[in-house]
Parts: sequence; C-alpha cells; structure tokens
Amino acid sequence: MNARLLIKQNVILRHSRRAAASLLVMLAMYTGIRIYSLSAADRSYDRLLSGAALSIAESLSVTHGNIRTDLSYAALEMLSAAPDDRVFYSVVGPNGAVVTGYGDLPAEPPNLRKNGLTSGRAGEARFFDAYYRGDEVRFAVLGRQMSEPNASGWVWVQVGQTRLARDALQRELILGAVAPLGFVAIVTLILAWFGTDRALRPLKRIGDELGARRAVELDPIRTPVPREITPLTDAIDGFMARLASTMDTLRMFIAEAAHQLRTPLAALRAQAEIGVDGKPEDAHRSLVAIEKNAAKISRLLDQLLSHATVLHRTDIQKTETFDLIDIVHEAAHETINMTSGANVEIDHSIDAAPMKGDPVLIGESVKNLLHNALRYGCPNKEPISLSVGIDRDEYVVLIADRGPGIPAEQREWVFQRFTRGSQSSPGAGLGLDIVRRAVTRHGGNVVLRDNPKGGLIAELRLPRAQS
Amino acid sequence: MTRLRSILVLMTVFIAGCAPQPDESDVAARHVVIYSTTDLESFQPVLDDYKLLRPDVDVEYIALDAGPLYERFLGEVRRGSSTADLLLSSAMDLQVKLVNDGFAANHDSANARALPAWAKWRRQAFGVTFEPVVMVYNKKMLGDRAPPRSRSELLSALKNEPEFWRGRIGTYDAERSNAGYLLVTQDVLQGETFAVLLQAMGEVDVKKYDNTSAILDRIASGHLIAGYNLLGSYARARIDHGAPLMIVYPEDYTLAVSRTAIIPVAAPHPDAAHSFLEYLVSIRGQQVLTTRSKLNAVRREIQGPYAQSGVFDRELGAIRPIALGPGLLVYLDQQKRERFLDTWRRAMSPALRAEPRSIDGATAQ
Repeated sequence: MNARLLIKQNVILRHSRRAAASLLVMLAMYTGIRIYSLSAADRSYDRLLSGAALSIAESLSVTHGNIRTDLSYAALEMLSAAPDDRVFYSVVGPNGAVVTGYGDLPAEPPNLRKNGLTSGRAGEARFFDAYYRGDEVRFAVLGRQMSEPNASGWVWVQVGQTRLARDALQRELILGAVAPLGFVAIVTLILAWFGTDRALRPLKRIGDELGARRAVELDPIRTPVPREITPLTDAIDGFMARLASTMDTLRMFIAEAAHQLRTPLAALRAQAEIGVDGKPEDAHRSLVAIEKNAAKISRLLDQLLSHATVLHRTDIQKTETFDLIDIVHEAAHETINMTSGANVEIDHSIDAAPMKGDPVLIGESVKNLLHNALRYGCPNKEPISLSVGIDRDEYVVLIADRGPGIPAEQREWVFQRFTRGSQSSPGAGLGLDIVRRAVTRHGGNVVLRDNPKGGLIAELRLPRAQS
Repeated sequence: MTRLRSILVLMTVFIAGCAPQPDESDVAARHVVIYSTTDLESFQPVLDDYKLLRPDVDVEYIALDAGPLYERFLGEVRRGSSTADLLLSSAMDLQVKLVNDGFAANHDSANARALPAWAKWRRQAFGVTFEPVVMVYNKKMLGDRAPPRSRSELLSALKNEPEFWRGRIGTYDAERSNAGYLLVTQDVLQGETFAVLLQAMGEVDVKKYDNTSAILDRIASGHLIAGYNLLGSYARARIDHGAPLMIVYPEDYTLAVSRTAIIPVAAPHPDAAHSFLEYLVSIRGQQVLTTRSKLNAVRREIQGPYAQSGVFDRELGAIRPIALGPGLLVYLDQQKRERFLDTWRRAMSPALRAEPRSIDGATAQ
C-alpha cells in the first residue's frame, strides 16, 4: 500500500514537472511571439512614419535665408492608416529654433542623435519611443542637410504618432499566432489523454491474464499486444522461462537428493534390522556399517546445504570487499579441523589479496576443493599443498594433491551434479558443481589439471578488479 | 376600511422615505457650461428640449466665434481656471487639434458609435450636424440668367460677364473667419479648378465677410447677387421665412461641415457634459436639431428635408463631408497657413497680384 502510494506520488510529481516544463516552453514561445509581433507592428507603421517625415523633409526650402516647409496633406494623410492615432511633428532648423510644428516634442535619446550626425545619412529615419502629452508616442527623426547661404546645416524633421494602431496590430499578430498554438496544444492534450488510455489498455489485459493464472503456469503471455508493448511481454516471457527452468532444476535436484538419500537410508535400515534380528556377535559389525552410512548421510546433507547456500547467494548477488588470503586461511582451518589426520601445507607468495565479491561463496569453494583433495588425493597421507598467488590481473588459488588424479576425459564430467570420480568413494557429487557456480559468479573459472609431481591440481582463478 | 387607510398611510411614508436625497455628485451634475459657435437663437429649441428631459440640469450657454472659443478654452486650461464642459464648434480643424493635443475626454456609447465614420474621431470628437456648403443666389437679381450650378459654370459666368458680377459676389474672409479658412482649404484639396475660380472671383472684386449670416443678409437685400461657400442650413432657414434666395448644391462636389462636440478633460462637470453630448447624438436630440433648430442632423436615421437623407436624396452631385481626423491639422500648420493666406490674398486682390512675384502654392495639393 505504502509503495503503491509512493509510486502514485512519483507519477504525480513527474506529471507536474512535465506540466511545468511545457508551461515554460509555452511562456518562452509567447515571449518570442510577443517580441516578434512588436517589431513586426513597429516595422509596418514605421514605414508610414518615415514616409511622412520624408515628405516633410522634401518640402524644405530656403527663402530669404529662412527655412520654409510646405506641409503636404499627403504627409499626414499617410498616417491615417492608423485612424485613431494622434499625430505630432516638428521641424527644427540648424540653430535649434523650431521652424514649425510642436515646439515641445521630446528630443531623441542622445546616443541616437550622435550616430545620425556622424554617419550623416539623410533620408534614413531613426525611431524611438517617448512619452508625450499623456501617451506613449513613436517618433521618427530625419535629418536633411541644407547648404544655402544664411541657412546651412542640419534641419531635423520629427514626426510622431501614438501607438494605438501598432498595439492593436501587435495584439492581432499575437492572437493570430497564439490562437492556433493554443488550439494545437488543446487537441494534442485531448489526443494524448485518449491515446494514453488506449495505449495502456493492453497492459491491463496482460495484468488480468497474469492475475488469473495459477502459480505453476509459466507459459508465454497469450494476450495479443501492439508492437510497442512486445519488449515488455518478451521480457516477461523470458523471465518466466528462466523461472520454469530454475524450478525444473530444483525439482530435479530434489528428486536426485531424495534418490541419493534413499540408498544410504535403505542400507542403514537394513544394517539396523540385521543388528536387531541377527546374532549378538554380528551386532558390532552392523553398528560399524550404520556409523559409516550415517556419516555419509551427514556429508550429503552438508553438501546439499552448502549447495543451497551457494544457489541462494548466487541469486542475491551480495558484494563486499575482502582479503582472499584471509578467506583461504579460514576455509583451510575449518576443513582441517573437521578432518582427522589432515596434512595441508599453506603457502602464499603475496601478503594481501583484496578483492570484491561474496567471501562466503569463495570460502565454500575453497572448502569444497580442499575437502575433495583430502578425501581422494592423499591415500597415503601425503601432504596437500594450498597456495595463493598472482598472475597478471588474476589471483590464482592452487590446491595440489598426490592422489590418483582424474583421467583427462573425465575432468569436465566431474563438474556435473551428482557425479563422482569413482563410484566406490563416499560423497554425493555436489562439490565441484558448487565451486563452478560460485567462481563463475565472480567472473573467474576453475580447472583441474595434472600435477607434474603426480596427482591432481585444482586451479581457481579470480579476477583482481572485480566490481 | 380603517385598515386600508392605515396601509395607505404606511405606503406614503415608505415612498417619501425612498425619494432620492440630493448629494454632492448630484449638485455637480446639475450644471453644465457650453461654449458654442452656434447662436443661441438657433440652439434654444435644443436646450428647451433637454430641459424637459433633464429638468435638474442647468445649462449655461455661451456663444462665441470659433477662434475666440479656441483661444479662451486654451487660455483657461493654461491658467488652470474653470472652463467649459462641452465645446461645440464648427471649426472642425481646431476641434481636431484640441483632441490631437490631448485636451479631450473619451465618450463612448451606442449612439456615438452610430455616427458616420467621418463624423467621429478617437471617441473624443463627434460631429453632431451635417451642413452642406452651398452657393446661394438672389433669384430676382439673377433675372432670366440661369444660376451657375457648379464651380466651372460659376467661373464661366464670371469670365463672360465680369461687370455684372463685379462687387456683387460674397464669400468668407479666410483670414478672419476660421470656418471660411477651413472651407477654402478644403476646396483647394479638391482640385485645380478652384484656384482659377478664386482668381476669377478676385478679378470681379469679391466681397469678404466674417460669417454666413452677413452674406445672406446682403444677398436677401439685393446688395449681392451670389454667395459662395455658405452654410446651407442658414440659407434654408431664411427661405422658410420668405427670403428671395435660391440654394445651389454645387454639382461638381458639395462639401459638408459638421458642428463638432468635444468634452474637455478639464471639464468641471463631466457627468452633465456626457449627458448633454449623449442627448445631442441621440435620435431625440438629432430630431430636435433638425426640425426645430433647422440644423441638418448627422444621423441617417432622421428623415426630413433638413436631414442628411433629405440632402442626399436630391442627388446633387458628390457630397464630400469633411472628415474629422489628423488630416485637418495640415492647414493649421503655422507656415502652411502663412503660405496659403499669402496665395489667397494675392488671388483675391488683383492689385497684389500685379506685383512681380510668382504665384506659388495656390494649388498646393
């Protein structure tokens, strides 16, 4: 319940983040549209404004040393494209005196005027906004150079218009751009809403199918699904196939274990019956046989437990940093203590062997190999040699005995579960299977080879840099 | 019976309690000051009707000429002293300038929006009348001559019989009359013919007057034979009173002016001002303007000989109403005015024209 709540909250969080992101994008788009619309509206009306200024500038003349203008009707009529906007203009002579028009128009910003003077391009208006007579007004300024005697220098024509029409055009442009955008956004939202619902419906069907199944039904999903969802169903099918195989293995393991346990148990019962029913002098022999079989069962159980541990730990994939030498020493001590008359020579060429992985798995592996060596490799109590070394980027653990060895063609076979090198020896044959699983899980490997001095060497290789 | 009486008494008390109590805003709404270029005699019926509608509003009507009206208003605003609540002037150009310079307040209503496009600007200037600008003749003085019906016919008549017309045609003095200046500048905008006509009028020693009434008086009395650029409504009113006048709507084009109302931002009684302006542009106000003040209504809904439709129905050539808008600012330009009047003076007096200075600008645009 808690987890589900958390997931729901996460979903909401993710959705609100996404909503905030799309809101930001929309805001950015709106700002962009606004800026564009403003400049577009200004551009279109600036043309009229500069046209009017140009028309006035063209009417400039000098009569008797006085600047004269002849304001044409067309000049102001041109501006009536913005019918409700107020119009202001002025003509200022070289001496700064107002020739005609409004004497109190706001001056253009100083940076603008300076540029205009230095470049001295007549016929090209400069624009600026200023507050005048209660309204925001757009002005165009145009310079014309007069070079008549008594009146030479720059004459400035300034024409201004309030911004009503520009603002209206800008609003219109914004609306023209935002309205379809908003429409598309809403349609997308609606489609996404229905689309998501539709797209998620197969998932619900899969859920229903899996919910209705019994625990042992691990067949592939039968519900037909759209192509987009097949990776999910493939993954589920693959997972269930692995689960089925694991369960098969487990079932086989249990069957084998039961079979393996049945034989010594049957022998145990037979021996006990002989001991009970037979002559008293046979009783001691029966007890010896019983003890032998009980020990066998005990070992078998140990191995089964060890095997189960390895299987479990392989599944949970626990990882920590440890020193291989410590683990090897520990494993050796435990094994030696459990075996009477064990003679193990421990030797290592390095002082420390830090590595990452599961120390229990590695320990179990070493114990198994050592156990095998002690059981099969020292018929005449020869010493077993155990060493830890380093070879490039691998640690090498060698367990060498002086026993009869295993023929080369049988060496791969002995790694399989419930096999033993020789049927006569005690043991369930689980050991090497455990070792291989554990070592493989660490990215290493284990091999058996001939000991040049006679006997068998089990060689364990483990990578040093295990992540 | 007693019960019914007590109920009646209660109701009386209740109604008395509900009667509106005068307060500050009501007092402010009860006074409105109008500066107008229309003489009080013409406008009185409008004021009387408004009084019926709003007996609580006390109208102070001050008749002024267009120029003094403009100057007085500006002076009062500059000094910060109390000024008018409504400016009603036939000088459309000066009213447009006041709006352009930011002195006018907005007035928005369905009635205001119903005005023709040319009769409103910025929801601040509203043309409330529609007055064709006509030629007026004394029928008796013309004798059996056909009255010239267009500017080109008038020009031919002046050229053919200069001695008949000499000193007997009158028009506005553009220098002294704002309305006359507006009309003559608008004539110039209409085309080249007018400059020639102006010169021809100058050649026959045209008489210049300050207002339409002065010219109409002299035509009616026989001192003049013809008047050019006169307000049609005034002439009609005189014909209705039996004057031997004849109105000709020039067939080439007929200008039309509009008495223009604005409410100043500085109006001391804005509520009453808006109420009065709203009345002027309402159907009822327009009706009274047309039928009783004999000023042509601007709204096309109004029927009758003085209404806009009445004039249009005569199909007397192109009616060109002067449109409110920034275009009217052109001839208010100081230099433009000087230039124009210089040309006008020379056209009007042959003595000046004889001087060796070139004629320029008479046909400007």
